[in-house]
This record gives sequence, structure tokens and C-alpha cells, in this order.
Amino acid sequence: MVVRQYQEELKYLEKINECCWRIKKGFQPNMKVEGVFYVNNTLERLMFDELHNACRPGAIGGFLPGMKQIANVAALPGNMAAFDMDDPKSIISPGGVGFDINCGVRLLRTNLFESDVLPIKEQLAQSMFDHIPVGVGSKGIIPMNAQDLEEALEMGMDWSLREGYIWAEDKEHCEEYGRMLNADPSKVSMRAKKRGLPQLGTLGAGNHYAEIQVVDEIYDKWAACKMGIEEKGQICVMIHSGSRGFGHQVATDALVQMEKAMKRDNIEVNDRQLACAHIKSQEGQDYLKAMAAAANFAWVNRSSMTFLSRQAFAKQFNSSPDDLDMHVIYDVSHNVAKIEEHLVEGKQKTLLVHRKGSTRAFPPHHPLIPVDYQLIGQPVLIGGTMGTCSYVLTGTEQGMKETFGSTCHGAGRALSRAKSRRNLDYMQVLEKLEQLGISIRVASPKLVMEEAPESYKNVTDVVNTCHAAGISKKCIKLRPIAVIKG
Amino acid sequence: MEKIESTFVIIGGGIAGVSCAEGLSFLAPDESIILITASPLVKAVTNIVPLGRTLMHFDVEEKSAIVLSEKHKMLQVIHDTAIKIDTIKKLIEIESGKVISFKMLCLCTGAKPKLIAENNDFVIGIRDTESVLQFSYKLRDARRVIIIGNGGIATEIVHEVKGVDMIWVIKDKHISATFVDPGAAEFFLDKISSKCDLSGNLNKDSPTKRMRYVVSDSTPVKNGAALGPDWHNSFDISGTHFTPTNVQVEYECEISKLLTFDEQKQFDSTEEWPIYAQLTNGKIIGCDLIISATGVTPNSDICGLEDLERGEDSGLLVDWKLETSKQDIYAAGDVCTVGWPKAKHWFQMRLWTQAHQMGRYAAKSMVSNLRNEEFLQDFCFELFTHVTKFFSYKVVLLGLYNGQTLGKNYEILLRITKDQEYVKIILQDGKMQGAVLIGETDLEEMCENLILNQLDLSMYGEDLLNPDIDIEDYFD
Repeated sequence: MVVRQYQEELKYLEKINECCWRIKKGFQPNMKVEGVFYVNNTLERLMFDELHNACRPGAIGGFLPGMKQIANVAALPGNMAAFDMDDPKSIISPGGVGFDINCGVRLLRTNLFESDVLPIKEQLAQSMFDHIPVGVGSKGIIPMNAQDLEEALEMGMDWSLREGYIWAEDKEHCEEYGRMLNADPSKVSMRAKKRGLPQLGTLGAGNHYAEIQVVDEIYDKWAACKMGIEEKGQICVMIHSGSRGFGHQVATDALVQMEKAMKRDNIEVNDRQLACAHIKSQEGQDYLKAMAAAANFAWVNRSSMTFLSRQAFAKQFNSSPDDLDMHVIYDVSHNVAKIEEHLVEGKQKTLLVHRKGSTRAFPPHHPLIPVDYQLIGQPVLIGGTMGTCSYVLTGTEQGMKETFGSTCHGAGRALSRAKSRRNLDYMQVLEKLEQLGISIRVASPKLVMEEAPESYKNVTDVVNTCHAAGISKKCIKLRPIAVIKG
Repeated sequence: MEKIESTFVIIGGGIAGVSCAEGLSFLAPDESIILITASPLVKAVTNIVPLGRTLMHFDVEEKSAIVLSEKHKMLQVIHDTAIKIDTIKKLIEIESGKVISFKMLCLCTGAKPKLIAENNDFVIGIRDTESVLQFSYKLRDARRVIIIGNGGIATEIVHEVKGVDMIWVIKDKHISATFVDPGAAEFFLDKISSKCDLSGNLNKDSPTKRMRYVVSDSTPVKNGAALGPDWHNSFDISGTHFTPTNVQVEYECEISKLLTFDEQKQFDSTEEWPIYAQLTNGKIIGCDLIISATGVTPNSDICGLEDLERGEDSGLLVDWKLETSKQDIYAAGDVCTVGWPKAKHWFQMRLWTQAHQMGRYAAKSMVSNLRNEEFLQDFCFELFTHVTKFFSYKVVLLGLYNGQTLGKNYEILLRITKDQEYVKIILQDGKMQGAVLIGETDLEEMCENLILNQLDLSMYGEDLLNPDIDIEDYFD
């Protein structure tokens, strides 16, 4: 990292408009393109404080301020943050996808209202907790053998459908129809399979959750209607989970391979976490195929939990999931790399778009979004943290132009996990949630502090920024009434 | 001759055997299972608290065999001893004369303590419930005991036993060597000495408390199941002599011999200890009791198993499926010796943790083979993990926690907060290989990940253990 005085650093930053900043080349070495970030006043202050702190003498190594991270991505070889598939120098980076491959959010609607749920809220929360295996070491309850796993990795949600865990419509409302066609289980290490097999159908720990939510606000009635959300008070279920240890191992295995490839092909990066390889290289191709298998794993995982949630609701309301209208509104991935067509300087190009902690947000009429949403744009699901609100946004034309059809994925951490554990009190956090009328079931007590609302930036700030910047549009606000966590 | 048929038969009611039986009845609820146990009580793992992907803390409870068979419909528990196994015809002969036929057998017969002297009333080995019972009985009137061994049980005895002078004889340079290094031993040593201060403050004139003491009516059976963690909770292991506890550690020596009656007389005619031991450092020490906790040898000598392949330690050699050299004969827990190519960060150690893991996995392996299904080895064999409690601290051991197999080519990162925590990380080429975490460190998940991932951590340097830096956040 280049060390300069804070005042010096500021010279590289330029405000383009109300909520958009540009990072000029030279902020970090080897930047190929300029960096851009979107903030409102609050977030702007946070970002600049972070940079200021890092510039103080005696600041220790370790985590880079956000702006430096953006600049390091901009320094990756290739044309831009999204890499041109036709340029032989273009790269793919597992670090730019994340460890939890295809971590994402799925939203189910119901035809129930808050008044239907409140009387049995505790039982329902408990029933969800009993149905969905949670926590770090949790094991799946959907029977799976090695052969099933191979098929699931290859077929994604087509496997879930064949085995009868989901409805055919679920697939329609999912990015890529819940299946990455280039998945190749033979490119996945035995260790990843061993690690992943027992975890299929489990929520995991950390920031993952299943929530029962209430529609709190509708900003775009027409779009909400298209999603089956009629009015305030309607009940939804949100599932935030990923590919568990499986994706983690795929990412780890790839990093080792990439380090070798970087030496061989003389690729240099500023941050080793962003180790990468040429897309066309063996390592790059192998990772793309293994990543696709991990993405399929995550979809099957979310589908298994969809099945379990439907079961839990059906049991409590003595009614079928069908009669409860428990359709999938949408399913988004916020840790994945995809090959997409974009217009760059007026020309159509095939790009490999890395989205880490970022959600795809395609505009209306885009060919890759489902028929039901052709007129309103792709629904974008933004999960909050324990006890805070979640949002549904829609993709915009402006986002397609400015950010390769991408927007935020939620609020990042404000306090490190260790700091949260030290600074927050377990009982206080729980009492606060109770006052908000939120039932909570957490398998591991330390998560209560680590995932407390105070540990995160404000999701509303993040969403409002994206709305103001026009890269996505607010549609629905949801508030949790029950949280199930690892 | 009565003949019983069963798909699965398990021999041994210890942690491995019971975990295997529970696993089988979960995975194949319609198949018949027979568990043969020498003791009327069986061990079961309860209160599992996962701390990481493979790391878990659990309690071990003794249950009556009836509880187990009531819970699992197809499981029949037979209180008997196997005397002969025909591995070809797949028949087991038990002491009562009955014959049991099986499709698949899992041997979970455990191990027995190595003893320094057989048939000596003043020398006991601690391994299973029966020996603990005997131990607490004998400890009642003891004034001074010698403890040999440097593993988990020896460490716990030193911590738990009160009101008795203890001589702790270890062959290493530091205490608890099986689990911790000199630094951690130092961390614990304070605990031992503070224990002396504590009891020293007590008023010695206070009446000796009567021990709540139950001598079980049931005759102790040999070859019972091995102890589980917190084994001492259900036994009173303090002496009746309320004198300050004094622990004296004799480093780097072993017992060379026990004095004969004549030698005893010659050595000491005044103070009559029932037994005297000579150490390799020349000292002769008299005591009431010698407790031998020096490890175990696998119990693999049932008639009929002679032609099964053995490991160096005479355990039954098993492949990655936990199958022995004979088809359809499996072995799990202390009785087996691992014969598959081991993952870099895993090794076999005869611990409750591994008995439980192997028992469960043997069930998976047997059911899959019965149904001709493909399966993968359980992920727990990729990383060595063990959670225990020493001197009332939580102790988590991960991977090559003592630098095992790394030779001298590794670095150590340490973080010690006196009386609170001790964190040791083993690094090789900037990659984490193992960790010892004592106290409430909250680092187990992160370390587990970093060992499994072999991520290059050299950029963090010493900051890796800086409490303000959070590597975990990186995995989101």
C-alpha cells in the first residue's frame, strides 16, 4: 500500500455528483481504470474516516480502507472491473467472487398478514428453527449420498425439482434459472465434496439467516403488484445463505492454483487476496467450472431451505404451501462472476462481470430477466442484518450503463466481529430486539453480538444511496418479526 | 444352541460403539442392530455443541442399556461378552453360549490401560469407569500418591484430586506434554501452585468432612467403556485427609522399579508406606497408591481375530472406510489403527473425540456398503480437532498443534493473558498448521478455517493475533 499523508490522498478523490465519487489513477499503483463509489453523506463520512485512520502514523497493516480496496480492483489486469472475454489478458479472480460462492438472498411471499402470524409467531419461529439446520457444524437433514451430490452440482435447481423439493415456477424466478450450465463437478476437489456433502440444506452461521418479514412500506405499487405484494402487512420469508464449506473450499483450492499461474504468466496484483489467472488459461477455465458447480450447490441449498420453510408454515397453518401462495419472488446472488453482454463505449462486448458483495440489477426489457418482471426490471433483494429492515429494489437502465447492471447487496460491517463481541452486551442486544417485537432463535450466542444491528452500517443509507444514484429503484421495505440464525 | 440373526452387530458399549449404533439406527432405521456390551452401562455422547466445521464439544453420559434400546426400535443391547468370532461364516459366540450371526460387524472394543505392574493392589490404571471407582475408593485414606503419565487423564487427576500429596512423574521436560507445549504448561503450573495456597489457608482444625460416598452394589466388570470428558464429576476424588494439596513434579523420569518388601524394610523402617517406587533419577518415594495413566493398548484379542492385519501398536488396521483386512468386519475407536493415507492436518490419537467421530462414520460406511452406495469419507478426518478442559480452562487443539511432523521448520505465534487465555499458532511458510487455544479465545472457527484453507498469512505477520484485526471478516 502506498503511504501518503491524508491531504495528499484526498487529491486523488473527486466528487462527480451528489452521491458519486471518482478515484483517480495513481491512488494505488498500476490502476488500469478509475474507480467509482456511491455514498450519501453518512456513508461518505464513514469512508473518509476509514481512509483518514489508515493514514495516521503507526496505523497497523491488515485491513485496507474501502477506497483502497476499490483501487486495487481497478489495478487488476484487463480493461475494467468487468473483464472483456475476448481480451487474452483478461482475468478471473476468486477473490473478486468471494469465499461464499453464490451467497445470495431469496424471498418467498405468502398470502398471510401480520395479524395471522402474530398470535403464533413464537411457535412459527421455533418451527422454522426446528426445520432448518443452523450453525457452524450443522448437518443437513435432506438425505444425500455422493452420487446425489454429483448430480446436484451439475444440475443445480433442476436437481431440486427432479427430487420434488421445489416447484417448477421457483426456477423461473431465479438468476440463471437456478442452474449454471458450465458447471463441471470433476473440476471440484474431493475435499470440497467431503466438506460440502453433509452441509447441503443447512443455513450456516455468520451473517446468514432465515427471517419472517412483514411488508412495511411500498414505494412502487405497480412493481410490487407484479411481485405479488398487494399491501402493507403482508408476510414474506427471506433466506440468506450460500454454498457453505463447499464454496469456501472451491475458492481456497483455486487461490492456490492461481498463485502458481500468476508466477508463470507474470501477473501482478496489489493485494494477494485478489490472486487471479487469465480467463483463457487452464486455471481460469477450471475455476469457472468449479465456481459454477458451487453456485449450483448454493441454489440447491437455498431450495432445500425453501422446502423446509414451506413445510414449517404448512404445519403451523394447517394448510398447503400452495394454498399459502408461498411463491419465490426472486433469488439473487451477490458473490459470483458471470459472463454477460454489455455496451462499452457504444460497442457490445462479452464481459466477465465479478460481483462480490454486489447484486445484479438488470433493467426492464433485459432478455435475461423473467417474463413476469420484463416491465418492471429485475427485483433486487437487499437483506438487512438481524433486526434491521430489508429492501426489494428493481434494476434500472442507468445502472446498466454506469455499473454493468449492478447495485449494492446490503450493509457492510461497521465493527469487526471481535470489536462487536467486546463492545456489545448480549442481554442488551436481545432486549432491544424484543422491544422491536422480533422473535429470535440463534444457535451460537456470540453471533448475537457479532450480528447486532450496531455492528453494521445502516442498510437504509446504502439503499437510499443506490436509489438516489439511480442505479436501482426502491420498491418494497420489509421489517423482520422473527429471525433464525446460526 | 440359540442363534440370533442381525444385519449389524457392534461389539463394545463405549463411545465408539454407542455412536455407531445410534448412527446405524438413524441411517438404516429398518435394519436390525445388536450391541454387545460387557458392562450394563453404556456411554453416550450428549449436548453436542459444534464450535466449528469439524470441531465440537460434547459431554459423555453413562446410560443404562435399556434407555438406548428404548430409544432405537431396531436396536437390541445384549449384556454379555464376545468370546469367539468366525469372520468367514460371520458368527459371534458369546459367553452365555448364544451365537449371533451378522452381515456386518463393527469392533469397538476399545483399549486397556498400560500398567507398570500387574496384580499389585497399590498400582491402578485409570481408563474406564470401573478403574475410577476403584481409584476413588482407594484414595479415601491416601496421604500421598504417585501419578505416572503426562496425558489428559493424568493432568486432570492432578487438578481434581484434593487433600492428598501428589508426586507427578513425567518423562517429558514439561507437564501435560501430550496436549500442550512448555509455554502452556507454564500457564497451567500457576494453577497448580495457586491450588496449594488455597488449601493452605484453610483452618486445619476444621472437622474433616464426611465423604459422600457410594460404593456401587454392582460388581465392577472388567473391560468397561473408556472414560469420557468430565469423568470425575460423578466420582468423588478427594482424600479424607484434609491437608494442603502439594504437587511435586518429577520431570524427565519414569519409575524404574517397585521396591520389594525386603528392600522397603531396608530403605525405610520408620515411615511405613505400603509401596515404594524407585525413579530413574535415583529417588525412592513411598506412597499409598501409584496411579498409572500412561496410555493404552488396543483390545483386539478376541479369539478368531488372529489373522486380521494389525498396526504397529497391535490395533486392527483399517482402510478409509474403517473396514479391517476382512470384508464386512469394521473397527472404530481405540481398537483400530488408521491405515489409510492421512490428510496433512489429521492424525490418530485415542481420544473420545475420535471414538465418537469414527463410530458415527463407521455407521455411514457400513450402511453405504450394505446398500452399494457411493460415499465420501467424513470431513472430520481432514483436520485433527479436540476440545477438553484442563484446570477448568477450555482447551481446543487443532491440526498439528504441537508442530507434529513439521520437524523444526515452523514458527510459533503466541498470545498470553495471564490467568485468562493462552493462544499458540503454528505457522509454516506463512500458512497456519495448528493451534492450541486455552481459555475463551473465540478463535477456534477462524483457526479451523485457516488451517483447512492454507491461506498465505505472511502479510499479516504478528498482527494475526492482534485482537483488533479480524481475519474472519475476510471470509464473508
